[in-house]
Amino acid sequence: MDLSQYAELFLAESREHLSACNQLLLEWERRPGGTEPVAGLFRAVHTVKGMAATMGYGRIADLSHRLENLLDQVRRGGKTPTQEIIQLLFRAIDALEKAVELAVTGREREADLSVIEAIDQAAVQSRPAAQPSALARHLPPEPAEAPTPAAAPVSSGRTRLVQVMLRPEAPLKGARAMLVVKKAERIGAIQRIQPPMAAFESDDFDGRFEFELETTADPADLEKAIRAVGDVERVVVGANTADESLVTTAEIPVTGPAGPVIGAGAARSRHIRVDLRRLDTLMDLIGELVTERGRLNELAARWVGKDPDIDEVAIQISRLSADLQNEIIQARMTPVWQVFDRFPRLVRDVARELDKQVAFRVEGKEIELDREILDELGDPLVHLLRNAVDHGIEPPAERKKRKKDPEGEIVLAAVRERSSVAISISDDGRGIDRAQILEKAKREGVVGPHVEALSDDQLLRVLARPGFSTAEAVTNVSGRGVGIDVAMTRIRALGGSIEIRTEVGKGTSFILRLPVTLAIVRALIAAVGQERYALPLTYVAETVEFGTTPLTTMEGKDAIVLRDRVVPLVDLRKLLGTNGGAPAPPPRRPVIVLEMGERRAGLVVDGMLSQQEIVVKGFDAPAGTLPVFSGATIMGDGVPALILDAAGLV
Amino acid sequence: MSHTVLVCDDAIFMRTMISDILGQAGFEVVGEAETGTQAVEKYRQLKPDLVTMDIVMPDMGGIDAVREIVKQDPDAKILMCSAMGQQALVVEAIQAGAKDFVVKPFQPSRVLEAVQRVLG
Repeated sequence: MDLSQYAELFLAESREHLSACNQLLLEWERRPGGTEPVAGLFRAVHTVKGMAATMGYGRIADLSHRLENLLDQVRRGGKTPTQEIIQLLFRAIDALEKAVELAVTGREREADLSVIEAIDQAAVQSRPAAQPSALARHLPPEPAEAPTPAAAPVSSGRTRLVQVMLRPEAPLKGARAMLVVKKAERIGAIQRIQPPMAAFESDDFDGRFEFELETTADPADLEKAIRAVGDVERVVVGANTADESLVTTAEIPVTGPAGPVIGAGAARSRHIRVDLRRLDTLMDLIGELVTERGRLNELAARWVGKDPDIDEVAIQISRLSADLQNEIIQARMTPVWQVFDRFPRLVRDVARELDKQVAFRVEGKEIELDREILDELGDPLVHLLRNAVDHGIEPPAERKKRKKDPEGEIVLAAVRERSSVAISISDDGRGIDRAQILEKAKREGVVGPHVEALSDDQLLRVLARPGFSTAEAVTNVSGRGVGIDVAMTRIRALGGSIEIRTEVGKGTSFILRLPVTLAIVRALIAAVGQERYALPLTYVAETVEFGTTPLTTMEGKDAIVLRDRVVPLVDLRKLLGTNGGAPAPPPRRPVIVLEMGERRAGLVVDGMLSQQEIVVKGFDAPAGTLPVFSGATIMGDGVPALILDAAGLV
Repeated sequence: MSHTVLVCDDAIFMRTMISDILGQAGFEVVGEAETGTQAVEKYRQLKPDLVTMDIVMPDMGGIDAVREIVKQDPDAKILMCSAMGQQALVVEAIQAGAKDFVVKPFQPSRVLEAVQRVLG
């Protein structure tokens, strides 16, 4: 059968199980006395083994089999695992993870399975004292254990010797033999089994066995019944035990598959797995539909005087496409745990490497984000978490000196906000020394020589400069200078923002704000000159009219005072260099107040046109483009408009 | 009328594959269960002609599920799905009332043979 169709399912499910293994190992490491983790590990590894064997990935099946064996030894030994065993298990799961990824791309041979040797060794060492076999535990006392062939009752010549040989290739011959015995028990009374049933389970059992059966059944029927058990190569039914000459050796072909072939039965389950590309395509199509819906609405507005029905149709189409769009967006939503679940392991490994003690907590695992955003989020988060362990948390000795718990804490939390999700990474470590950063920033000319203190914003901007690193020495973990800048660029590309809060001695938090979904957002359409620009509503706090609020200046720039807060102004006309052919700005210009965390800015535009849903299209900005655009969209009339990036303006 | 089947396995991968093999041979997969508890519950609801039962499942394992199902219905036709190296467990399942077994990796022909034998 064609197995390739199952490869993706295999990959997805193996990843889930191996990720669960990491969680279980971490739990086990914390509480080595618990018995649930090892049971869960055993199940997960066992499942991977079965799937891999089915896919024909022999090496993965072999590794999982040995790992399962070790887990079984440890489990049955009932002893708490040593740190070495836990470490070995982590290594083994890593090896499996890599092997699985390689296998689905046809490169299973390249997988490094050298961990097997250590696994086998550990399994030998963990072997518990011998236990009775399953058969011995579950079978009634074996009559054959005291074979008394001489005394075997030979009543009226109807006790027959039955000799059975299973097919050499039959799997689990002992279990098959067991089925034969059970079948025979229904036909008559079994009096002697050779070898004894306890031997069925042995690896040496070759599938040959015999027994005496007291029965009135016809020998041919008896043979047929036994063959029907399956995997039977040969059955010899003796006339009776007194006469050992073989009566019948006729070969009856084992019944083959003859299942009824009617229409394929459909599996009924409430979930199906859908290829992600399908969802992406659907999203693109919906995007186009939304664009066309915008055009339809414009046309309908023009025609409504002539035929009121058209308006009604347009409204219906709007409603239906909005529902449809909503459904697709929901289908793409993915809980953050799918990415977060690998972080406990990451934090543990980094902490070990750096000899730090870290308790890691995850909150808001169930919060959902668009799949695409979540996929992009992994790397920036890995970076920030590594940073937190490396630069944030102090070594245990230093923490003790500062009267802190020698074990530091890092919390990764997701919280749903208005129309965005905030993800914070907070540590209770040493915080960032602003004075030190300021000095370095001055030296490198990042800030002017007269700046006396760095605000949170300025601090982040300095930290996010490519190549800026405060690490004294470059460690393996972080401090390579490719850090916050990369994370920040990624987050900004997703229409999100990063914020920093830090206090010396208390700790540092990074807060990432992300739109819940990427592809379709509600936006405010503003006009400057003859161009239209879209501003995602996610970051629009309010709009006011220029001239109706007090004017002031802030750091030499124009600003307005809004409810006792000074909001710096950004004149879009000036920023974009709009003049010349464009009409002169109207006397009363609207101000769009953008808000990103604690930061605010007022964007002065020529006019506000509408609020509508826009389909975000990727945008490859030519070199030299102002860093204030995050993408483009097509308006209802088919003319493109640029999307303004709030993070670049605030 | 085609035979109805309840497929019990904690891996979607395995359930999909078994359902495909049986579905293509004309069986009607009427339900799936991913734990032993679900298997027992769904057997009661669906009364399928055949059950395929994984041995290692979370919550309640396959062998205990066999015991429970056979308690409800001594004629239940249960086919164990095992892996290599699970001889002892398969033997235990047979003791508990399972009618036959197949060993992973599955070959469709062997699965169908076993199914035929069980439905006999």
